[in-house]
Amino acid sequence: MKIDLGPVTRIEGHLNVKTTIENQKVVDARCVGEMFRGFEVILKGRDPLDAQQITQRICGVCPYAHAIASSYAQENAYKLEVPANGRIMHNLIQGANHLYDYLLHFYQLSALDFVDVTAILQYTGKDADLLKVKGWVQYELASKKTFPAAPFLPRLNGDYIKDKDLNIGALKHYIEAMELQKKANRAAAIFGGKFPHSTAIFPGGCTQEARLDHIINYQSLIGEVREFIHNKYLPDILAVAEGFPEYWHIGASKGGFISYGLLPMSSERDSQRLLTGGILQGDSISPIDFGSITQDVGYARYSSPSGLKVSDSTLTPAPHKEGAYTWTKAPRYDGNVMEVGPAARVLVDYHQGHNQQVKSLVNSFATKVGIEAADLNSVLGRHLSRAINAVVIADFLLAESDRLTPGERTMADLSIPKEAEGYGATEASRGALLHYIRIKDYKIDNYECVVPTTWNASPRDDRGQPGAMESALIGTKISDPEDQIESVRIIHSFDPCIACSVH
Amino acid sequence: MVDRRTFLKLAASLCTTFGVGSLPAPVLAALKKITPGAVPKLIYLQGMSCTGCSISLLQADSPSPLSLITDYSQLAFHADLSAISGKKALNLLEKYINGDAGEYFLAVEGAIPEKMPEACVIGNKTFAEHLEAAAKTMSGAIAIGACACDGGIPAAEGNLTGAIGLKDFYEKRGINKLVINIRGCSVHPDWVWHTIIHLVKIGVPELINDAPALFFSRKVHELCPRYHDFQQEIFAKKLGEKGCLFKLGCLGPDTHADCPTRWWNGGQTWCIDSNAPCIGCASPTFARKKDFPFYRISEQGHQPV
Repeated sequence: MKIDLGPVTRIEGHLNVKTTIENQKVVDARCVGEMFRGFEVILKGRDPLDAQQITQRICGVCPYAHAIASSYAQENAYKLEVPANGRIMHNLIQGANHLYDYLLHFYQLSALDFVDVTAILQYTGKDADLLKVKGWVQYELASKKTFPAAPFLPRLNGDYIKDKDLNIGALKHYIEAMELQKKANRAAAIFGGKFPHSTAIFPGGCTQEARLDHIINYQSLIGEVREFIHNKYLPDILAVAEGFPEYWHIGASKGGFISYGLLPMSSERDSQRLLTGGILQGDSISPIDFGSITQDVGYARYSSPSGLKVSDSTLTPAPHKEGAYTWTKAPRYDGNVMEVGPAARVLVDYHQGHNQQVKSLVNSFATKVGIEAADLNSVLGRHLSRAINAVVIADFLLAESDRLTPGERTMADLSIPKEAEGYGATEASRGALLHYIRIKDYKIDNYECVVPTTWNASPRDDRGQPGAMESALIGTKISDPEDQIESVRIIHSFDPCIACSVH
Repeated sequence: MVDRRTFLKLAASLCTTFGVGSLPAPVLAALKKITPGAVPKLIYLQGMSCTGCSISLLQADSPSPLSLITDYSQLAFHADLSAISGKKALNLLEKYINGDAGEYFLAVEGAIPEKMPEACVIGNKTFAEHLEAAAKTMSGAIAIGACACDGGIPAAEGNLTGAIGLKDFYEKRGINKLVINIRGCSVHPDWVWHTIIHLVKIGVPELINDAPALFFSRKVHELCPRYHDFQQEIFAKKLGEKGCLFKLGCLGPDTHADCPTRWWNGGQTWCIDSNAPCIGCASPTFARKKDFPFYRISEQGHQPV
């Protein structure tokens, strides 16, 4: 039986997943990215300083990650010395963007896979927000509307949490998270100018001043977010895990892991990062070589050559290409399938024993819930990894903001060379993000982005290997072939972003 | 002079749309006589977009996000928030679009690939097909953001897909339906929510260039707190300096928007306050030409051309 899961909702963008079901099991899955814009072609011939603006529009959920990756690529190309304040501001902006994204993902995008919203009807407490929601749901259900209580109902058939208090508590946090994500974004906007789509981020730093009032406002906002992470976000993930322990072993991808490392600790080029990068295959860690990344298009809708390196990339759309089923290319590292994202960041760092906080968090949670570190490659593992990222990043941001020196410069002087090239690699919340720029005659000659969901929602490569998310879906047991809440939980755990993956 | 009935009607719109919590008790008491839920639904569709406008809408302060989800009961479908997916989500969408689920307004984020319809697909139909069908049943449409209004970045020079905005798309098909443009990359949440209140409860607001005059009648430059610097010829000479940013390429003089008085993200910041030149994201020609860069750094002598 063939079932399309698209349009998949509570993700960014246009994703379909074509599944084949036999004996209540997913025996084949194909990820279909259904939206293409052609950013690389739009960038070609433009002023290089347009790039960190244009590339933010690839994704309005994680625009700052694109601005940072583009800035790194240009800094690399211009051989810029970035002032300490400039690098710190980049970090403060990008880190805060991660925090908002984790909260949004768990509560707004994922929670409804587990939490029973109808539990609100049994609420007997006095919380004003919850009473408001209860009243609204009652009114909606009593109305003659074709679809009452949308967008919460209708929903997928499945086994939701049964404990009333747990459900109601999670709904309360759903509401609170909406306020907290704003605070994280406000913190980022203090230095970024605005959110989404920062105008203050440049290669070489930020145009915003380093002022004490900015630092104080930032710390106050991040402090509130940090408290929520510890007191609500983490406990909620553990509560979901207690209700659905089987998901520590559902949705494992079958390849390796890449993380480029997140948040440089100094303004030196190639400085150590808060979470360190690397390639993890089995138990073996190796350093990253951008030259080992190629992108296949055998199953993607392009007539440009397959298997090109990042720096040689070209783009010719072919919407009717025979055998192609998606707009997403298939990136491979030395020909191997890779998962990127929060679990990759944690695992790659953990295996190198780099960040002690990561190590102790992984060890203590693993003991608490009875898993191995390797089980982070799962639905719950990805959720828990986001929370671990959040804890480590929030602590870092509070310390990092104290390192900002008021009154000192925040921007390098820019001097764009006639010819140059550069790579910029960072971690978006969804995973490893690489930008490449080549400049000729002061203009962009080639620009290529290899984006987190390009890895995760990758189609088959030319050798027929399924991408990370496809491999995580194949083999999954499902209860209702049409709704497939189990598959949807797996897809959501990757937090796919199709605007990013295809761009 | 606003009479009591008009006032109550306006207050009712605020109440049913964005939450009763923020209204004073006497008003609430008067409002109890008014039936909520009579207002049309909102179907929110994304085309060639980055979701940045949706994310910006979640940054709203007034209304609060909670009110948007609950009291703001019109949001019948939004791909980022809807619990349902797949065939059942399509069924919901199609019931509305076929006119079987009541009156609705269409909110559109993202451009339409006029020359390559396959470049944007929702379920079993192209985005363009959904929009053509909706035109027959919707009460009107709100184009949210640069892409939905004028094509935005997807329509910038090098546009492979033939990306265009919603109004253009309907005009090419001889469809004459109300389309209100809220420009910006991304939009400011106030621009959208306050327009929707107006549309649903009072009617079409005054428009300039198909955009609400309330937000887009004046230029960033005219309203800019650094206009005085401009008059005094106090110019920033390089990025990161204070003063008027005109010589660095600031597009405030070409861009209609009220950012200088409204500010962003809780009213604590906006581009020029952070010394970042306006890049004209609310302009219909935002980012359109390759040889019209956002910044004029070379004129300041630190780009050796």
